Amino acid sequence: MPKLIPDVLKNLFSKPFTLKYPFEKREPPENFRGKPKVDREKCVSCGLCERICPPGAITLDDEEKPVFDLGICIYCAECVDACPVEAIEKTKEYELGVYDRSKAISK
Amino acid sequence: MVLWAEVLTSIVKFLIFPGIVFSFVVGLFFEGIDRKISAHMQHRIGPPIWQPFLDVGKLFTKEDITPSNAEGWLFNFAPYLGFGAIITVMLMLPVYAAQPAFSAAADLIVIIYLLNIPALAIMLAGVSSSSSFGTVGTERYVVQLFAFELPFIIASLTVAAQANWTLSLEGIVAYQQANGWLLWELPLAAAAILLVAPGKLLKTPFDIPEAETEIVYGPLTEYSGPKLAVFNVMENIKILAVAGFITALFLGGPTAHVIAGVQIPAIVDFLIKTIAILILITLIRTVTARLRIHQALKFYWGFVAIIALINLVYVMVI
Amino acid sequence: MSFVVPVGPQHPALEEPEHFRFTVEGEEIVDVDFRLGYMHRGIEKAFEEKSFPRALYLAERICGICSGIHSIACVEAVEELAGVEAPRRARFLRTVLAELERVHSHLLWAGIAAHEIGFMTLFHLTWRDREHVLDVLEMLTGNRVNYAANKIGGVRFDVEPKHLGKISNVLDDLEEDALRYMDVFTSDRTITARCEGEGVLSKGEALRLATVGPTARASGVDEDMRRDDPFAAYGEIDVDVKTAEGGDVLANAEVRLSEILESINILRNAVEQLPEGPLSVDAPKKIPEGQATNRVEAPRGELLYHFKSDGGEKPSRGKVRTPTMANIPAIIEKLKGETIAEIPIVVASIDPCFCCTERVQIVDKNTGKTQTLTKKELREMREE
Repeated sequence: MPKLIPDVLKNLFSKPFTLKYPFEKREPPENFRGKPKVDREKCVSCGLCERICPPGAITLDDEEKPVFDLGICIYCAECVDACPVEAIEKTKEYELGVYDRSKAISK
Repeated sequence: MVLWAEVLTSIVKFLIFPGIVFSFVVGLFFEGIDRKISAHMQHRIGPPIWQPFLDVGKLFTKEDITPSNAEGWLFNFAPYLGFGAIITVMLMLPVYAAQPAFSAAADLIVIIYLLNIPALAIMLAGVSSSSSFGTVGTERYVVQLFAFELPFIIASLTVAAQANWTLSLEGIVAYQQANGWLLWELPLAAAAILLVAPGKLLKTPFDIPEAETEIVYGPLTEYSGPKLAVFNVMENIKILAVAGFITALFLGGPTAHVIAGVQIPAIVDFLIKTIAILILITLIRTVTARLRIHQALKFYWGFVAIIALINLVYVMVI
Repeated sequence: MSFVVPVGPQHPALEEPEHFRFTVEGEEIVDVDFRLGYMHRGIEKAFEEKSFPRALYLAERICGICSGIHSIACVEAVEELAGVEAPRRARFLRTVLAELERVHSHLLWAGIAAHEIGFMTLFHLTWRDREHVLDVLEMLTGNRVNYAANKIGGVRFDVEPKHLGKISNVLDDLEEDALRYMDVFTSDRTITARCEGEGVLSKGEALRLATVGPTARASGVDEDMRRDDPFAAYGEIDVDVKTAEGGDVLANAEVRLSEILESINILRNAVEQLPEGPLSVDAPKKIPEGQATNRVEAPRGELLYHFKSDGGEKPSRGKVRTPTMANIPAIIEKLKGETIAEIPIVVASIDPCFCCTERVQIVDKNTGKTQTLTKKELREMREE
């Protein structure tokens, strides 16, 4: 007799393990490294984040505040650790799809 | 009856019920039910029951490509050969009453052979498609056909022997209506034929000819678009045909019931029985791995043929 | 009548692109030819363009399944070059990361092996249980793969008291599941019909071909880098090395599933014995001149990282030797005399990760053309 019959019958009569995304979403945990976001008030324009970013996704705009290119960002949160005034925070946003590449930025 | 009325009923039977439209719709729903139940057994949600309709519809809109090295006429003809044969089988099965739609030639032996023509169509598709996957798939299908045909014929002949050697399905259904289901009288033959069903329908553990991880899709690798859709529909109608055949042989065929004063037509009974056989096939498919071709041969000519033979000898001697 | 069955680069049996050409007669394989190179991305050259901290992120992305262990191997090699020792707590945390990754990788392998023999249900069920491990990894490090967990001098994540409850629950459930899968794999009739006695690699052949990891252990070779060349905190934790006899697919399954159980024990020990202390120490930007080699036990075997620095901020040479690279000759040996039906499961039995493997390419200096070596050419060159 096949060994999996009890498991299979138990699964048949229980709630599926699959979540019906996008109607049911999972809450990311606390440490989740999502989209980086800068608080422009706190930022002191030291440029540390731009220098440390491994793929080079951060550039400083006209006001010397960081702009993140979300297409290049690898979501490693090195910038979050590097910022001396804790102006950059890692949010829990992960649904970052856009139709226009130039809109994939975070300021 | 007036000739034109007879012709009209025949055309309706052929085209709509239980011919092309009925078989198409019910066959694809059977695939949907199979996938849905299998998905829940694997603890996931699975596609909706009407998904096969969307799949077939999508395939009809795709480009139809014939490889340049393929045998053109055979490659193009094979799907329709199989489809025509399986519709003919549906017309010869008792679906809504003990009497099939076209009962003139509806004979056990004819149906057994007609049920193999779709397999033959797939084999021809495999060798004519100029791809090595197709050749390997066809080789395996030939061996598998020889493997399961033996116990299948033995089990069917056991039923015929029990029913006083009538070879028409109508007679077998009538015998069961008088004496009860042959499932209880011939349990070993029933077990044999239920084990043959996954082999005939190419379901795990016997989906060896179309083993996805080994030879991509076996004989049908090079097919695309409408021809693949026709093969797909043919395979699904085959599920209905084989389940219907087993119902007629062992589960008493379509019987009308009267429950609490409500008249339930025989077709409902037929559908319930065939869906029960489908669920059994789905269960077997979900809990086993794929065997190798010589293991399948050993299994069918060994265990399954022996239990069918025991039952045949029992019936003929006692 | 013999003809050629091509497998790959695109084939349902393969997880990553590689190309095998099997000459078959009927069902029996007569000859095997293979070529790799489809996943070559020039990573070793890219190491030379990046500073050491950035090279760490690149090393992590060599493989998706074993990204944590690549990161650990790389960072320890660089720490050796820099003369920096990570604090004790950091080393224990790296052990936790490595073992969690081993569990998820072996569960993934169990699913893939089941898929190769047509057993879709087991594939779905093992991957469902793997989700819990990935949830724990996400809770600790912030992502399910590519954990960004290491930095030169320590780690960037921590196991806090509030995580302990969930970790303990997941480990208990996993232990039950692993025992169940062990039972299914070794006693289900259809699985043993496909896996027992297939793809046999004898102990002598395993030693001759320098096979590593669970593939070698399944042939009876008693070798494990966690015990023999300790990295992270393995010097302070006992590791019970599991071996099996036979070297066939079933032995591989037994070794990997028992390693899941052993990893669960190690995890429980490590989390319990987690010492107090800092998570990292400072590391210099300019790494002093020298060469360092580091060997770790990835889920697939012995992973080797070699870095050479000339005193600057960037490595002057980085070299990665992944376990699948060492196990490829074993595939050829295992496939001799098998039939077509065995190809997917035997190739899968060494747990190949071809995206880790692609490193060899020859550039002809005179014509500037690149050429990927075929197995025959490699053998000819070796015999010269």
